[in-house]
Parts: sequence; C-alpha cells; structure tokens
Amino acid sequence: MKRWTTKREHQIYSSKLFQALCRSRRTSSSTSAKELHQTADRVLAITAKGTTRWSRAILAAPLTAGTNMKKHKKAKVTVHTRLRKPVVNREKRKLPVVERKLRALRRLVPGCRKLSCNNLLEETSDYIAALEMQVRALTAITEFLSRGLL
Amino acid sequence: MSSRRSRSRQSGASRITDDQIIDLVSKLQQLIPELRGRRPDKVSASKVLQETCNYIRSLHREVDGLSDRLSQLLASTDTDSDQAAIIRSLLM
Repeated sequence: MKRWTTKREHQIYSSKLFQALCRSRRTSSSTSAKELHQTADRVLAITAKGTTRWSRAILAAPLTAGTNMKKHKKAKVTVHTRLRKPVVNREKRKLPVVERKLRALRRLVPGCRKLSCNNLLEETSDYIAALEMQVRALTAITEFLSRGLL
Repeated sequence: MSSRRSRSRQSGASRITDDQIIDLVSKLQQLIPELRGRRPDKVSASKVLQETCNYIRSLHREVDGLSDRLSQLLASTDTDSDQAAIIRSLLM
C-alpha cells in the first residue's frame, strides 16, 4: 500500500487517467460527472494491477449508465446509519455495535462483503490509500486544465 | 472495555475473535487522519470503525465533487492534441 504514496505512482495514474478522459471525449460529446468518476475508479483499479480484491471488484462490475441504481443503494446505507442507536445495551445478543459497523465498512470497500477481518484490514488500508491518491491526481489534472485555459 | 467481556460470552456464535477486532481497529486508527494522534486505548472500537466508514464516504464525496468540476472543465474546453500532449508531459 506504500506504492500509492509514491510520486511515480501518482504520475502513472494521473497521466493514464488523462489519456482515458481524452479518449472518451473523442467518442462521446460530453462526459458526465458520473462517467468521469467511473473512469477514474476503473483506471485506479487497473493501476492496482489486480493485486487487491477491491480493484478486481471494480473491474468486474458492469458499467452503469444510469445514476439511479448507485444512488439508491447509497441512500439505503445512509438511512440505516442514521437510524442506528448510538448507545448499545450491552446485554443485547443481536447485532452488537462493532459487528454492525464492520458490516458497514465491508459494504463500502468494493468486493469485500464476505471478507475475513484480517483481509478486510489489508483491503481497507489499500483502498483508503488509493482513494487519497485518486483525490490528489484529480486535483492535479483539474489545476493543469484550468491553467491551460488562462 | 467491559463490552469486550460481554462479547466473549457470545463469541461461540460469532466467527470473529475479539483479538482480530482489536488488531483491525488499532491498525485502522493509524489510517484515519482524525484519529491518528489519539492514544489507542482512548478511542473505542466502534468509533474507529465509524470514523473509517465516514472517512471513506467523505473521500468518495470528494472524488464526486472533483469529477463534477473536471467534467465541466472538459466540456467547456476544447483541448486539442498539442495541448493534451503538453498537459500529459506536465503530469509525467
């Protein structure tokens, strides 16, 4: 997971992503934010070179054209979180707080719904590091493009 | 944490051991910027897991916002091949 923090990896990812975006612009007249996000995720998964479960899951997932499906799922998870009681009756045997939150975490990291605790840790830390790099790369591309306009 | 003790009574039913959870939680704490400085025994397991989920969700939202801005930028510019080559060399 250290690789996500190197400058080299950042350069590889941002130039691959930019290439992919230029290519998609040539084929379709406009790129929606959703398609862009999807492209960014797929290039991120490719950059991972198939070593992690989350990256394989992203590449295996079908390309969703509409926004409805994804947003619907996310809304469900958000509501569930808000309804959850903050204080737990420790006597309760059903669904202790920690296990519930573990499940929520599993849903957030792609392809990890049935993963064991140890592997989940590895996937989560790799996924978080990759997402942080994704943010840095997208910021860099945006800056360069806006500079190009001036 | 006394919650650990009550959980061990039901550990026959759950497959995840307490040690695994403790291990996962302490390592996750190092990844979350908000919790990095705090002492591990002062932060509860559920808080670390909650903060991890929140952090991932906030990263997702950040990428959403950046994608939005970038797609608007791309739509308004007409980057020709020369400009694209320059930008690519800058990224490398």
